Amino acid sequence: MPERLVIVGAGMATAYLLQALAANAAGLDITVIGEEEQACYNRVLLSGLLAGEHREQDLHMLQQDPPAAPATFLTGTRVCSIDRQSRTLATACGRRLAYDQLVIATGASVDRPQLAGTRLPGVRQLRDIDDARQLRAIAGNGGNAVIVGGGLLGLEAAYGLRLLGFATTVVHRRPYLMNRQLDPEGARLLQARLEAMGIEFQLGTSLASLQARQQRLAGVQLDSGASIPCELLLFATGITPNAGLAAQAGLAVKRGVMVDEQMHTSDPRVSALGECSQFGEHCFGLVAPIREQARVLARRLSAQPGPAFRLVDSSTQLKISGIDIYSAGDFDGSGEQLVLRDAAAGIYRRLVLRERRLVGAVLVGDKRGGTWYSELIRNGTDISELRPGLMFGRDISNSLQQAARAA
Amino acid sequence: MARLNTTCPYCGVGCGVSAQVENDQVIAVSGDRDHPANAGRLCVKGTTLAETLVPRGRLLYPTHRGRREDWDAALALVAGELQRVRQQYGPDAIGFYLSGQLLTEDYYVANKLAKGFLGTANVDTNSRLCMSSAVAAYKRAFGADLVPCSYRDLESCQLLVLVGSNAAWTHPVTYQRIVESKKRNPAKRIVVIDPRRTATCDIADLHLQILPGSDGFLFAGLLNHLVTNGLVDRDYVHACTEGLEAALAAVEDIDQASVAASTGLAAADLAQFYQWFGETEQTVTCYSQGVNQSATGTDKCSAIINCHLATGRLAREGMGPFSITGQPNAMGGREVGGLADQLAAHMNFTPDNIERTGRFWQARDMATGPGLKAVDMFRAAADGKIRFLWIMATNPAVSLPDTALVRRALERCEFVVLSDCSAATDTAAYADLLLPAAGWGEKDGTVTNSERCISRQRRLVTPAGEARPDWWIVSEVAARLGYGEQFSYQGAHEIFAEHARLSAFENGGCRDFDIGALAGLCRSEYDDLPPTVWPVPAGGPPQRPFADGRFYTPGGRARFVPVVPSLPQSPGQAGTAAPPEPLLLNTGRLRDQWHTMTRTGVVPRLMRHRDYFAISLNPLDARSANLAEHELVEVSNAQGSVRGLALLDEDVPAGQVFSPIHWSDQFSGQACVSGLIPAITDPVSGQPQSKYARVSLHRVPTCSWGALFSREKPALPPLLYWSTIAVAGGYLTLLASALEALALRDPLLASLAAPGLRRLEYLDTAAGDVRDLGMHGDQLQYALFLNTDRAALPARDWLAGLGAELGPAAAEGGSCSALLAGVDPAAADVGRLVCTCWEVGEKQVAAAIGAGADSLESLGASLRCGTQCGSCIPELKRCLQLHHKDAAA
Repeated sequence: MPERLVIVGAGMATAYLLQALAANAAGLDITVIGEEEQACYNRVLLSGLLAGEHREQDLHMLQQDPPAAPATFLTGTRVCSIDRQSRTLATACGRRLAYDQLVIATGASVDRPQLAGTRLPGVRQLRDIDDARQLRAIAGNGGNAVIVGGGLLGLEAAYGLRLLGFATTVVHRRPYLMNRQLDPEGARLLQARLEAMGIEFQLGTSLASLQARQQRLAGVQLDSGASIPCELLLFATGITPNAGLAAQAGLAVKRGVMVDEQMHTSDPRVSALGECSQFGEHCFGLVAPIREQARVLARRLSAQPGPAFRLVDSSTQLKISGIDIYSAGDFDGSGEQLVLRDAAAGIYRRLVLRERRLVGAVLVGDKRGGTWYSELIRNGTDISELRPGLMFGRDISNSLQQAARAA
Repeated sequence: MARLNTTCPYCGVGCGVSAQVENDQVIAVSGDRDHPANAGRLCVKGTTLAETLVPRGRLLYPTHRGRREDWDAALALVAGELQRVRQQYGPDAIGFYLSGQLLTEDYYVANKLAKGFLGTANVDTNSRLCMSSAVAAYKRAFGADLVPCSYRDLESCQLLVLVGSNAAWTHPVTYQRIVESKKRNPAKRIVVIDPRRTATCDIADLHLQILPGSDGFLFAGLLNHLVTNGLVDRDYVHACTEGLEAALAAVEDIDQASVAASTGLAAADLAQFYQWFGETEQTVTCYSQGVNQSATGTDKCSAIINCHLATGRLAREGMGPFSITGQPNAMGGREVGGLADQLAAHMNFTPDNIERTGRFWQARDMATGPGLKAVDMFRAAADGKIRFLWIMATNPAVSLPDTALVRRALERCEFVVLSDCSAATDTAAYADLLLPAAGWGEKDGTVTNSERCISRQRRLVTPAGEARPDWWIVSEVAARLGYGEQFSYQGAHEIFAEHARLSAFENGGCRDFDIGALAGLCRSEYDDLPPTVWPVPAGGPPQRPFADGRFYTPGGRARFVPVVPSLPQSPGQAGTAAPPEPLLLNTGRLRDQWHTMTRTGVVPRLMRHRDYFAISLNPLDARSANLAEHELVEVSNAQGSVRGLALLDEDVPAGQVFSPIHWSDQFSGQACVSGLIPAITDPVSGQPQSKYARVSLHRVPTCSWGALFSREKPALPPLLYWSTIAVAGGYLTLLASALEALALRDPLLASLAAPGLRRLEYLDTAAGDVRDLGMHGDQLQYALFLNTDRAALPARDWLAGLGAELGPAAAEGGSCSALLAGVDPAAADVGRLVCTCWEVGEKQVAAAIGAGADSLESLGASLRCGTQCGSCIPELKRCLQLHHKDAAA
């Protein structure tokens, strides 16, 4: 009799898990339960959907290629409790499912500040396909939109809204954009590119209050004293893991559901991965480590345990067409700096070396080589011989190295 | 489309060139199959002649102290200054410094104006630097400046002695003829006498690597050997010569042991050479600058001629003392009298000749005696005695010894006129008036090569800008001085006809130079004139000169000249307490360059055999100076210093350094090697000792190296070193500095980074790696790469390709930042170019050898290298040998 595997949550982590299980799903009977009507789509592309650069079907992740393990999907279904004793769970519609193995992949929610009015009509988020649909539906009349948060998600959303015709302003608490992924110079260049698209910025300031008119959002007031009229306000200041269900079930939870290096929770029959999970002090928001979690977990579930999950620095890319951003590693501290500037083309690239190793990369306007840099950072490769061409990507660096050896 | 035959403007071989002309442009050139000098061959310089006819660097209109002037005003200015100086200071305050680049007709008119109308014989030429010792020796021996050999003799001789001649590089086509003759006749022996192991040694059966300047001992000893061993042709000596006894007395102590000691040769090698010379009837001794450019050059030439007179090996097939000249028209200049110690048409300053010539010219003011020779002329200018100088088609600020003295002279001289094709030369910087002269392909006239063959240089295209033929410029000035009647030439053909008439004028066989048969040529006959060897008197061509044993001396006999050989002296050796500089400087020419690069320097292809200014030295001397290959070396003495890349070269003997002569301030920061050469001249010929100076060397530490591509020649800040070469679409500069890369960047870019340019930069300051590009639209304007390590700069071939419309990387992906990488991953770096004709690089050659090519034939079959002009064959063979050595090791 096959083992019953139930996965709670039908987001990207689940999609990656099913893909990772594709080759070894023979002994498994998989059921996926998701709250949304759509299951397993690529949330990363929502801003592109908003911007009209992608169609909904472009987002689906369980197509022919890559193959995924077969599963029964219960969509539009919320799990309200887990009974670990009886190894069952209950859905909001009263259904009860038994499991041999349970995976929690419930994702995360958008943070909202502790301010009055954050539930006013006009205050929205961009978290799922439905959000994107609604935002697209209200577009067309123009109007003013404010995005709070100048990180990856905020800027991608701002770009989408700008393309939909909104006069868009990004409010960011830090003095420069994407402060976790960029340095000030790279951020200024990015800002200039976005400004050229018509997006406006208020930096180094936070939201002080929301202003309403006729029970609807009418504007925001900033710390700096500025006020911006707007009919649409989007929060992109961060996410919080959806760990409530696990906590309720008595699993170990801090910010997220605690997992070990094989994705076990505190219950050996319950695993967790994705944005809802926490590994040591680390919660997840980027795709690459979640994919790795999925691989580790899939091997364990199919009884072929492999290498343990290891936390590595992940790279970040911005998905705004025409603006290449890539960042990886550590570039705040000391080290030898390699810098390339092509101001007219909006290109700025900085690599940071420490003790003959690449430790950080910030690429703005031209992200070629990004993947390679991540690999070099991850592997701690000695780059002494690659150094003259390092900035220019793997091919050029290799050919320079070969030329140097030949000479 | 038209095909026109003309003559190459480079060396004294004087090859016929066949040019394809279309829409007033020379599309292509090839060797003229019907020309006796080359029978269709061309060397790499000749092959690239069409590429010299470019606007780059041309002087286009008269320029008076930086301001454009019209011709009429410019000519009036020259005439006015000539008149003023003549009235104020007398005719000897006027000097003309001419060039072996001038055509015979230009030369004739300038010589006539000076010696017949201005009353000065201060007419000298850069040919003084080239072969005046050979001329002086011919005149001492034969009573006439008559070169008694032809190129055929080089082919038909059984023993060829090449003295002070790197013919493989300096006379490549003649060298190829020699190579082929040896192939046909393997019994033929070739001896090369040179302190360096040059490319010419490739065909040598014996290379005598003598101590610099010791050639005189070698030939003095040879005469002694010939007499001692009964190898003298007694009948010939008795019938046709005089003075053997005195000549012998001078050398009687010079036995083989003393020759070996003076020349540094092994006794066996010396004995071998003497034996071969003694036993080989058909012997040609061919000599060039290595013999001539010496304080005892005339004596060295005489020592050589003495050996030929003693053996009667003269004026017969495959025999004779053969001076090969460096310039296309050195001989033509001598024919018209364009040297300070000559009058005209091989007439000297004797009263009857002065009277005769004056009558022929209807002269107003005949010069009455020899004028100042080149070095003395500039010394006189430095001393304030010469106040007006007219320089034509040459660059004395670079080519004369002690260039500091020459530059002081040019500075002090009240009025300096320079007629030239090039706008920017070191000499032009000192000229008051620049006159744009028609260059090769634009001018019309004749030249005479080393075997006395007169050939037409024909006009192929319209002169650039307002350039005019030199004869026209001089005639117009003459007219403004009131001599319009005597200078009313309507074309070069009229001048040639007058020159030919003068050669025959009251000659009657007493003067060797007689081309009376050509005096009646009409314009179309002149235009069609085929290559013609003089003498050609009106009575028809005579037999081979001197074949009858009669010479142009008063008694009709050839004269032996007693020669007491001596080693070169340097200033400071005599009289001062300072220890002599430890090394000897030798100078010479490179295969693909010509003179001061005013012509070859604009051809990118010719900068690929050797690119940046470099100095060759023996690895032992490099080691004691702690110098590695391609590091910066300074060679200096009390007179000056040059800086170049160090080339470690086993072919240069320990204790010597070798520098090419071509570089000027236009092409490198501190590379004018003549500045180190003392202004010591041969007392008879006045030829400077350009191949000998005592120097010391040291390594120059550098902080950063740079490679700069720019569209125009860059204006550079002070640097330790720079050297600029022409590349397609711009210039490439290699530079070195004592500054850190980042500090160096902004001063370097001061003149390049114009506002509005798109700038790209790459900084790795910790590694001293700084790169900077300027773009204008899609077009690269400059590219600068700075690095602590020269080897880390981008490959030269890649840099040289940056001048294309789009940089190689810019075309792909629209991003130019890949250009900063300094490498085109797709393009293979072929390495330093060995074969310039087929653009084959040393890396390709190495690869082909690695892949099994084991002979010249197989290399030629796979890469085509060495199959065109053949001048790279010695290097190809070296590559093959090196590989075998490696394989054996």
